[in-house]
Amino acid sequence: MKTISMILALAITAIAAAMPFDAFASGALVGVSWSNFQEERWKKDEGAIKEALRKAGARYISADAQGSNEKQLADVEALITKGAKALIILAQDANAVLPAVNRAKEAGIPVIAYDRLIEDPGVLYLTFDNVEVGRMQARAVFAVQPKGNYVLIKGSSTDPNADFLNGGQREVLKPAIDKGDIKIVGEQYTDGWAPEIAQKNMEQILTKNNNKVDAVVASNDGTAGGVVAALRAQNMVGIPLSGQDGDVAALNRIAKGEQTVSVWKDARELGGAAGTYAAKLADGAKPTDIAGVHPWSGGPKKIAIPSVFLKPVAVTKANLNIVIGAGWATKEQVCLGVAAAKAPPVCK
Amino acid sequence: MRSWLERAGFDPRFTSLVLALAAIWIALAIATDGIFLTPRNLYNLSIQTCVTAIMACGMVYLIVARQIDLSVGSQIAFTGMIIAYVQVRWLGPETPDAWLVSIVAGVAAGAILGVFQGWWVAYRGLPAFLVTLAGYLMFRGAAFLVADGQTLAPLSSTFQRIGGGVSGSIGPAWSWILCAIACAWVIGQAVQARRSRARYNAAMATVGADAAKVLITCAALVAFVAVVCAYPDPTSTAANGVPEGKGIGIPVLILIVVAAALSIIARRTRFGRHVFAYGGNPEAAFLSGLHVKRVVLALFVMMGALSAIAATITTSRLNSGTHSIGQMAELYVIAATVIGGTSFAGGIGTIPGAIVGALMIQSLDNGMVLMDVSSANRQIFIGLILIAAVWADALYTRKIAR
Amino acid sequence: MTALVEIRDLSKHFGGIHAVERVSCTLHEGEVVGLLGHNGAGKSTLIKVIAGVYPADEGELVVRGEKREFESPADAREAGIETIFQTLALAENLDAPSNLFLGRELLTPWRTLDTDRMEHEALQVISRLNPNFRDMKKPVRAMSGGQRQTVAIARALYFNAKILIMDEPCAALGPAESRMVLDTIRRLKDEGIGIFLISHDMQDVFAVCDRVTVMKNGAVVDTVRVADVTEEDVLGMIILGERKKTGPRPAPG
Repeated sequence: MKTISMILALAITAIAAAMPFDAFASGALVGVSWSNFQEERWKKDEGAIKEALRKAGARYISADAQGSNEKQLADVEALITKGAKALIILAQDANAVLPAVNRAKEAGIPVIAYDRLIEDPGVLYLTFDNVEVGRMQARAVFAVQPKGNYVLIKGSSTDPNADFLNGGQREVLKPAIDKGDIKIVGEQYTDGWAPEIAQKNMEQILTKNNNKVDAVVASNDGTAGGVVAALRAQNMVGIPLSGQDGDVAALNRIAKGEQTVSVWKDARELGGAAGTYAAKLADGAKPTDIAGVHPWSGGPKKIAIPSVFLKPVAVTKANLNIVIGAGWATKEQVCLGVAAAKAPPVCK
Repeated sequence: MRSWLERAGFDPRFTSLVLALAAIWIALAIATDGIFLTPRNLYNLSIQTCVTAIMACGMVYLIVARQIDLSVGSQIAFTGMIIAYVQVRWLGPETPDAWLVSIVAGVAAGAILGVFQGWWVAYRGLPAFLVTLAGYLMFRGAAFLVADGQTLAPLSSTFQRIGGGVSGSIGPAWSWILCAIACAWVIGQAVQARRSRARYNAAMATVGADAAKVLITCAALVAFVAVVCAYPDPTSTAANGVPEGKGIGIPVLILIVVAAALSIIARRTRFGRHVFAYGGNPEAAFLSGLHVKRVVLALFVMMGALSAIAATITTSRLNSGTHSIGQMAELYVIAATVIGGTSFAGGIGTIPGAIVGALMIQSLDNGMVLMDVSSANRQIFIGLILIAAVWADALYTRKIAR
Repeated sequence: MTALVEIRDLSKHFGGIHAVERVSCTLHEGEVVGLLGHNGAGKSTLIKVIAGVYPADEGELVVRGEKREFESPADAREAGIETIFQTLALAENLDAPSNLFLGRELLTPWRTLDTDRMEHEALQVISRLNPNFRDMKKPVRAMSGGQRQTVAIARALYFNAKILIMDEPCAALGPAESRMVLDTIRRLKDEGIGIFLISHDMQDVFAVCDRVTVMKNGAVVDTVRVADVTEEDVLGMIILGERKKTGPRPAPG
């Protein structure tokens, strides 16, 4: 008896948790399969997708795979069963998600690969150019520190984006490395993009090199936060440091001079594009019909995929007003605790 | 050899554990050209070990009592977010005593998580494995909801010291004072124990053996303090420009307090004795009139509180509250506990062993990053060491059973 | 004289199973009462009720003239009832003193465990039962069957049980150790302690028991004085569930 009520309670909770957020309003149904909704930025993406769908008269349902490939497959099947006419998939793993994509193709449902690559010629790959993000990160740091010892704090080894970013970074740094101006003295992946792991790795790299580190190219703001914590313990905060995502904490660091750049991808732009395109695809458009689409074959398998790349923005001390102006962060948040003497123009 | 050790009062299993750790340290020192054994790295290692070690102390109790807690990583995330929330969103980081209020709130939150899980296990009889697996999912979700997934930063500057970074250690003077107090206590304990046994004319180890134990323990304490004092504080603001040594890091102090308290509870109190009795034979415990349900519930509450303390250190080190901390922590904590000699069969386990187990795992991780080993390879290697440790433990258990 | 323990119409059900059905029996000072019957006759359940493990569903348990309802094994202990279960209820990972004092540990003035005093006290009691058993630091898992039995009995003795329940004390023992246990039982009997003894061994039963109560399918078949019956009579009662056919029985005592 106890067991039965226990199982019932768990089942009801699970079903309730899996329920889509807003499944009312008329129009085509668009399903979104999140890989791990718990990472910080996706809430902004979701808001933008919902808004764009609403404007297009479509409806939104979603599922969260919570980091599991198996669950993502099940989620996609569930979204199809619920009647989605188009899918937006944020892939947990580029290869493991292919069976899910095949299901959708079998059901005649168009798929948008959102932010992360899915190497299938039938999808519409919509992302910020992640290689370009890496290039921008390296460029901004290189501009401040053209010579010296560099450390690369990379993303999660299971996320293909981590390697795209690293590719872009190395592309920019290559001439200087070949010349001998720059030496890579430390390079580590960061499991799960976890800041505490980035901190620990950075601590060890600093120890190994006896603090002779002149610049750090971190692949996102979370890991940059971990790097800053490690630098602070060694009184080294202020060396050039990159990041990505435009996290409020990172923008604040930029204002304070603790971080050089955060490559900002306005998630709302990406989400808005995804929502708009998904509504069009649900109404019968083909991926090749979308404005700005071009075939791109830069993935590991070199398959040509219809792609739309949005342009990221490198946010530094000089142009913090962009994020404030776009309503992404408030002046109070960005300028919190900034000393008047060293304040960037936007905080004065 | 083993019986000589036992008669002299040395726990042979713990001794072999320490010897294994020493062997690993020597190997790492060689592989890193000595960098591994520099005061700076050993100081960092001591801080890096604290989070796992503190939680392993609580996990010892749980596994001894034939329970388990798979949700400790998620507990860290949730309590860490509560701590950050109190400081950043509620009180404001520089409000006086905001740091203290946040820690109290975090520990209370951890205790509540423990009550929740412990109630299902103790009073509804559900298997701890399943209940805490549910907790693993629920608490991680709850951690996200605290700040809607956002990172909360920066934290109070007083709070930052707890992480062992900037101003996060007590300096050489206090470190040596504490060392002296600790040695005096060790000597006092040994003398007191001998006196108590003499009163009953009970058998005891030779004076030489006891003296050797005291000597080794004090030597280890002195060595540790000497090492951490030899690491010049990079953030110190000494007047003459010569930085003084770091001394014992605050996380290490916290670990020492936690470990000492839990050790004493395990060996010297009724509660501890009842935990071990329950783990050895739950039926016997019940038939002997022990309040077994209360004991089991208390264990989960204790684990929740310890997770909150571990979260305090982690968030302080990062100077921010993120909901992604503590991923996979449960695995490392359980591994440390098992390597340290705690058996899943129940009834056997020690706190010092768990701490050495945590130190062993962290040493490997720390040393391998110094060697530029990739994270994937590190995981494989540490996994192999875990198997080796469990196998060695199984061999040892079989030997003493004969 | 009042009985030490008087059980009147005691019943205990587990769902549809009537483990103990309207059982009545008594125990007097200095007396050993054997509880006999097949497996599943209800003997273990009956003593568990007396020992406070289960509450009775119906009937009365009167200890030294007072009606008692035990809510836990600790309550039964307080009433002077000590039980040696068939499984001995010892924690294998702990040593003899720890087991002896389990739940009733001796404390120092600082409320910590007084391990040295407990070891000393345990040694006194245990060495009286078995002069060769002196290693108080050995964990139970390293002890022989006889040593474990000694620890279990010592536990009962130390706390001055007036009423002792022993469930198959000699089942796992060799002949020499069994004899030691039986000698102990006789000694306790002489000291005025009342003992309920469950045993399958007819020889042991006839060696130490004064009376036997035979149970079958949860109910009492009959209670007879050992002096009045033979082993075959008792076997018949156990197997066939029939009362012994004799003339009027003399009253006990």
